[in-house]
Amino acid sequence: MAAQTYALAAVMEDNYAVSFPFFGAERRGAPVMAFTRVDKDVIRIKTQIYEPDYVVVLDETLLETVDVLKGLKEDGMVVINTARRPDEVQLSREVNCATVDATSISLELLGRPITNTSMLGALARATGEVSMESIERAIMEKFGGKLGTEAGEKNARAARKAYQDLQVGMCRGGKDFVPRKEWLPTVQEMPLGGSIGALETEAGLVGIGSFVRNKTGDWRTFIPHVDHDKCIGCRMCWFYCPEGCITMEDQKAVIDFDYCKGCGICAQECPVDAISMERERR
Amino acid sequence: MSLNIKDLPDEHLFTPGHTACPGCAAPIVVRNLMKVFGKDTIVYAPANCLLVFGGTYPYIAWKVPYLHEAFENTGACISGVKRAVKKLGKDSLVVGIAGDGGTYDIGIQALSGAAERNEDVIYVCYDNEAYMNTGIQRSGSTPFGAATTTTPVGKKIPGKTQNKKNMAEIMRAHEIPYMATMSIAYPKDFLRKAEKARDTRGFRYLHVFSPCPTGWRHDPALSIEMGRRAVESGMWTLYEAEYGRITDIYKPKRKIPVKEYIRDQGRFRHFTEEMVAKLQEYADHKWKQMYGSLPEEKPE
Ligand SMILES: Cc1ncc(C[n+]2csc(CCOP(=O)(O)OP(=O)(O)O)c2C)c(N)n1
Ligand code: SF4
Repeated sequence: MAAQTYALAAVMEDNYAVSFPFFGAERRGAPVMAFTRVDKDVIRIKTQIYEPDYVVVLDETLLETVDVLKGLKEDGMVVINTARRPDEVQLSREVNCATVDATSISLELLGRPITNTSMLGALARATGEVSMESIERAIMEKFGGKLGTEAGEKNARAARKAYQDLQVGMCRGGKDFVPRKEWLPTVQEMPLGGSIGALETEAGLVGIGSFVRNKTGDWRTFIPHVDHDKCIGCRMCWFYCPEGCITMEDQKAVIDFDYCKGCGICAQECPVDAISMERERR
Repeated sequence: MSLNIKDLPDEHLFTPGHTACPGCAAPIVVRNLMKVFGKDTIVYAPANCLLVFGGTYPYIAWKVPYLHEAFENTGACISGVKRAVKKLGKDSLVVGIAGDGGTYDIGIQALSGAAERNEDVIYVCYDNEAYMNTGIQRSGSTPFGAATTTTPVGKKIPGKTQNKKNMAEIMRAHEIPYMATMSIAYPKDFLRKAEKARDTRGFRYLHVFSPCPTGWRHDPALSIEMGRRAVESGMWTLYEAEYGRITDIYKPKRKIPVKEYIRDQGRFRHFTEEMVAKLQEYADHKWKQMYGSLPEEKPE
């Protein structure tokens, strides 16, 4: 939606623009991509963008696992949602970098950690190619139409705040990304019968039960805290945790933060209110 | 004695590390079902969210034999697997878990066939009331008025114009050994029905209400609460039947207006008073239909 909104703002200023998502499963929390192309001329190219001028990163935990600068032009810029200053961010090379704490802005102005509209303001400022006024108009049209005028205005305010708060500088370089090893045998190479048991490979554990190696804790914005004095060991949270990452130790709930996505169901369902949700500071 | 939460084993047969959206009810459903079904179970999933968040080749969250085929043939696949298992002289439980799209719409012929042949399998439908995996398209299960990407809220047509199809009744009409509607908001009822399905022979159909924070646009923390309000408002009913005869209906202790159910869901945000009234009429009708013959108060 944000990519479309930026395109719409560009069109309002007499540009041509196209935007489209990366094809794949679109689910909250999972890394996804979207692309926007803006030009003064008709755009005939329909491919994904491999050498962008700007890369916008909504979730800074991605910086640890993905080289977001891959393909970015030498004089390109990366715009990141983070509470850190540009020179506090280390990436694979030194490039133009702009940062803004969009998560805090969204929580303050929208009450939810949904940062895409805030980041539109940040991007407008970073590119200087569309005005903040057009971004606001585009947000009102895209979000205001769907979610109501009030929600539209809140989002426009969040974008404006990110526009004002953006810090521009350079990030540090030198971070190494070891590409994840893959283990992807074809059907012919598969063990007879085509089934895989649990198997240690050079890419780690694969097959039955191997998803336990996939740590989903970095999806979290809010973190639950269990008050063991209040916990009565009823196992309601244990039953309800979508991740299955709560264990009972000495009749008290213990949460495994390697997997907790911070959904808040445990806090909501605990019959004695022993669990509270707090904003996580990383 | 029926199962309690405290009787469930600690070991997960559907592991953490899966990639469902935060607050999704579907992993809660499958993890706890698996705790009841046990290790000697073979699971089949067609195309749906569960398939994708439960594993992407070569990684997988299942700790039991698991397979995937096409979107439309859950009923046929589990029939075949069970017969193959039998041929090998084993008696593993064979379970197919499909979404509402895979059950109400594209999978209904294979499902109906398997039910009619009384195959010895369990078919589970986790019902999140739209095709969620591909980005929230309406299904036969989507309730009246709900906004989806294929029933958007326009100036003339605000959301889906039809009511939710009564799939559970279609399955009851197959007069199979066991069918039940469930919700994780009612754990004791949920576990009892899962156990009953496990211990019954022949075709069993379990239909679990499964709130989806992404598609319904509600706070992820409210997924269980949505399940509760659905039952209390009459938008979902918990009952079971053997050979087509209803053997139990759970009547909630209070009845809430549908307004309270739809209040916190973005997919109903555009509702006018008129639309609320129309949905209320549907819920009232269902309420009467299901609970009409019951005494007013029924202790749990
Ligand atoms: C024959 C066929 N058509 C379309 C698809 C694309 N597809 C994959 S998952 C899916 C939606 C599944 O919806 P549902 O069964 O309701 O499960 P949910 O994702 O909502 O849990 C669709 C349409 C497919 N895989 N196969
Ligand atoms: S889209 Fe809905 S059903 Fe699918 S994983 Fe997300 S919350 Fe669950």
